[in-house]
Amino acid sequence: MYLYLYDSFLNNNKKYNSLLAKIETRLTDLGIGGKIYRLSPLRNVNELLADEVRNGVKTVVVVGNDKTFTQIINAVAKFDVLLGLIPIGNENKIAQMLGISSSEEACDTIAARIIEKVDLGQANGTYFLSNITVASGEVTIECENKYRIKPQNKDQVCICNLRPLFSTGQGLSNYFDPQDGNLEILIEPITSWFENAFRKSAQLKKSVIPFKKIAIRSKDSLSVVTDGQRVLKTPVEVEIVPKKLRIIVGKKRMF
Amino acid sequence: MFKKENGEEIETIIGPSVQVEGNFVANGDIIIEGTVSGSIKTEKNLRIGDEAKIYADIWAANAIIAGEVQGSITIKDSLELTNTAKVFGDVKTKTIIISSGASLQGKCLAGEEKRSKGEKIEDRPKVVIPKEKIQPLSEKIK
Repeated sequence: MYLYLYDSFLNNNKKYNSLLAKIETRLTDLGIGGKIYRLSPLRNVNELLADEVRNGVKTVVVVGNDKTFTQIINAVAKFDVLLGLIPIGNENKIAQMLGISSSEEACDTIAARIIEKVDLGQANGTYFLSNITVASGEVTIECENKYRIKPQNKDQVCICNLRPLFSTGQGLSNYFDPQDGNLEILIEPITSWFENAFRKSAQLKKSVIPFKKIAIRSKDSLSVVTDGQRVLKTPVEVEIVPKKLRIIVGKKRMF
Repeated sequence: MFKKENGEEIETIIGPSVQVEGNFVANGDIIIEGTVSGSIKTEKNLRIGDEAKIYADIWAANAIIAGEVQGSITIKDSLELTNTAKVFGDVKTKTIIISSGASLQGKCLAGEEKRSKGEKIEDRPKVVIPKEKIQPLSEKIK
């Protein structure tokens, strides 16, 4: 049984009406139609999922962009369900990583059901798929009670599971694998566009350190953002939860 | 020894802006361009860049050192000190390559641990010749 969660930006937006109609027709043709719920700030996703899983939903498909997907992951990870994605609109880098290039192709991908188990990160109890960014400041990272890492104040600190979605981590894509049972600390100095032009020298300045469990501490309270969504405050404990999420991927996936 | 940086073998990079304190243990290859104090341990390869400063004891399978190391170095197979390397500590390895210009201040043990045992003369088993009873000539004639 399928449950389709439409992001709130699709509600009453004429721009996407014809595309949504096409997607719904295609899903019906493929025999994978299901319940449709339109998300809104007033609707509690956790309660909705709990009810639907109790009623027999086995597959949850997110219809939206990166933001929608990462928002839903935190709720879906608590249940034993399969997760799919139909990308709509801009900012769909996660879909690219999962090997889904368009909305139409996503319907076929969901029907094909290639399933991969991926790791999730957990920061103070909050799950994340992609990354955590730490606001710049005096930070100390304690790794597995064995060693401490002290980046410089101007460094940008990011904890990655998937390949970084933004400009950070260019040239280091092979280090990030959501199935390797490790998270990676990515530390890079904030550089000017001129320094970035010479990527080779910039790459050597970056640090990539794999780990299973760390604690991020700071003198002053700093904000830590999980998947660009939820804001936590230091101290934050981060650990890997291996093979936590079952996800539908395309053939062109990047891991 | 090391694959290119876009390859898959390098697992840990410590950049020049980062300082690490404590017992740093990694399962894969390590590249260090920053500062590390404590100890470094890997079962694979280690590369220490020319601007790196290491105040730590090192254990690795293979290592290339171009920076400064203050501490003992124990390498299972091959150790290379480039012309910019400065090592203040004892070194133990199977094979060592020291480029001209490299500095090494400490005891260096290079080569196989096993050596053929030299035997002392006293340790050799003594050949005991059984003594025959010497009979007097008069008895032999009889």
